[in-house]
Amino acid sequence: MNPKDFAISLDLINRHYQEPNRNRFESKYFWEELYPLIATAGFSSIEIPYEPVWQFGGRSGVPMNRYCINTKYTSAAQYREVLSRSGIERVSGVTFDPNLFMRNDNIHFYFGASGHFAGEALAHAADLGADYFAISPSPYYGRIRQYHPDIDAQIDMFTDRTVELLSGLATKAEELGVKLVLRNEYWSLFGGERVLPLLARLRESVGLDVDTASLTVAGIDPVQFITANIARIGCVHLTDTSFADSADVWKTPNPEHPQPQATQVFRDPGTGSVDFAAIAATLDRLGYSGPVTCSARQTRDPFRALLRTRAMLNQL
Amino acid sequence: MPNIQYANMSHWKSIPFKKIDNFRDFYYEDKTNSAYYSDWDNILKYQSALGFNGIEIAPWDMADILPLFGSPENFTAFAKDRGVEVIGMFHGAHASHDAGHFDEAVQSGREAVDTIVRFGGTYMNTCPTQNYFGCGPLSREEVQQCAKVMNEIGRYATDKGVKIGLHNEFFCAINLPNHRELIESTDPKLVHYCIDTAQISIMGEDLVTFYNDYHDRISTFHLKDTASSAQPDSLRYSQDPEITDDGTRWFWEPGMGNLDLKGLYHALKEHGFKGWMSIEYDGSPDLLASMAMTRYYLDNELRPIYD
Repeated sequence: MNPKDFAISLDLINRHYQEPNRNRFESKYFWEELYPLIATAGFSSIEIPYEPVWQFGGRSGVPMNRYCINTKYTSAAQYREVLSRSGIERVSGVTFDPNLFMRNDNIHFYFGASGHFAGEALAHAADLGADYFAISPSPYYGRIRQYHPDIDAQIDMFTDRTVELLSGLATKAEELGVKLVLRNEYWSLFGGERVLPLLARLRESVGLDVDTASLTVAGIDPVQFITANIARIGCVHLTDTSFADSADVWKTPNPEHPQPQATQVFRDPGTGSVDFAAIAATLDRLGYSGPVTCSARQTRDPFRALLRTRAMLNQL
Repeated sequence: MPNIQYANMSHWKSIPFKKIDNFRDFYYEDKTNSAYYSDWDNILKYQSALGFNGIEIAPWDMADILPLFGSPENFTAFAKDRGVEVIGMFHGAHASHDAGHFDEAVQSGREAVDTIVRFGGTYMNTCPTQNYFGCGPLSREEVQQCAKVMNEIGRYATDKGVKIGLHNEFFCAINLPNHRELIESTDPKLVHYCIDTAQISIMGEDLVTFYNDYHDRISTFHLKDTASSAQPDSLRYSQDPEITDDGTRWFWEPGMGNLDLKGLYHALKEHGFKGWMSIEYDGSPDLLASMAMTRYYLDNELRPIYD
């Protein structure tokens, strides 16, 4: 593996939470200033978190879904040209999480909306020429329980419907030539090693997306997990953390913001306790040659996070 | 008791924490000011300290507020402990011009009213339908259909002690050619009006004239300034014009644009307006600074005219 080939996720821009100057993130100019800075930090590929929410309310300056790209650039091809002129050669992957759609007690709404927009996101990934489409197979477990207090008794139903949704996406992904991978966030109904039985029910083309911080939060050693599951790993996210979930925060409705003892769960890469050198050595030793993406989600300063990430990679 | 009480229209993006008990530790994790914008405890205290004793929430806040607080009532009690009351919620009456969506639009409005009642609010400022782009121009029949929906929601709201106020955006399908037609097609006993001072000015209404013409319909205000009055149709009817590509702002803090807000306050005095006024800071890079700037302008320029 060559760290120069690693991508950076655009999730380093904290779009959803309040902070000074956040209003910039909704305008096109902000992103078009950002792309050359990303390239200057040594990244020539990016990952895009697909977010349907920007489709509603006229916020199409945020380049996180097909509607926004078509509104501002007319097509994915035109957008890729803008990226290319900024030094971003490719979009390596697209991610999708269904938390937006866990908002009421109607489980049919959740699966209907998630399936529809995940399909849109996958097609958009293909249009962007992405290698992978990384989907979170469930919303926050605590958010499900908030609206469906009986979820623990309904896990088989929820899992069956998830398998049905993912199987449809897997077929479509094969047709489009995009690798479908499952994320394993610590807060998921299928977090940590709970993702493995789900993966076993899906066709071989579906891979596993390893998130190093999420594994660490869940108390799982990323090196051991990677070693045990290398055959199915289709994507690696290098994320950092110093948080250990000793109080079942993963079961709460807001699991990325532990209450009441606040902490930043995802730290800028290189500033937490994840041993990236050991992880990189393990991936090299096992001959992993798939995509690797760095993520600085929850950063409090995206431009510092970009350089911190590059500084960390320079040490590998 | 002053005639006007001041609230803040919530444009805070997601506030992830209810109350940060370990504020110093959280700050030291990365030593940035993010910590100062991360919990409702402090956000509400900022409002209270600056004399904004009401908050108007937005429907898009619900997905975060409800999991965080468990219920509307819990949020209201938490805010009240910090000197802030929930005065109401914004609502978008999507597709109300479309007769085929009548039941859906009315049901959605009724559910929003029920939510406001649970928060203890009494105002529901309502955008009458969606954006002009992809929808306009509306026919006369479609404008009447909007009025029919507003009357129906207004009837339900009135019975629940909530005032619905039409709230027009400069890019809405209800726009300069049919704005007044809609108002006059609704029942004054059931449907009121929330003047968004900047939005109607950008649309092409003269603020003071409009208030004088409709003063008996006005339930509340969204008070903000603009330096971009009377924009042309080509802009107002374009796709997604609210957030500009180059960062140009439509909305400014009172006193930072060129609206005749002093003229408005003289008119408020003349007609004896009493009620809540929400200050709105959409587009601001620093909501806290905007709130403080506004308080200074209110206390030194506007409240001496009419309080």
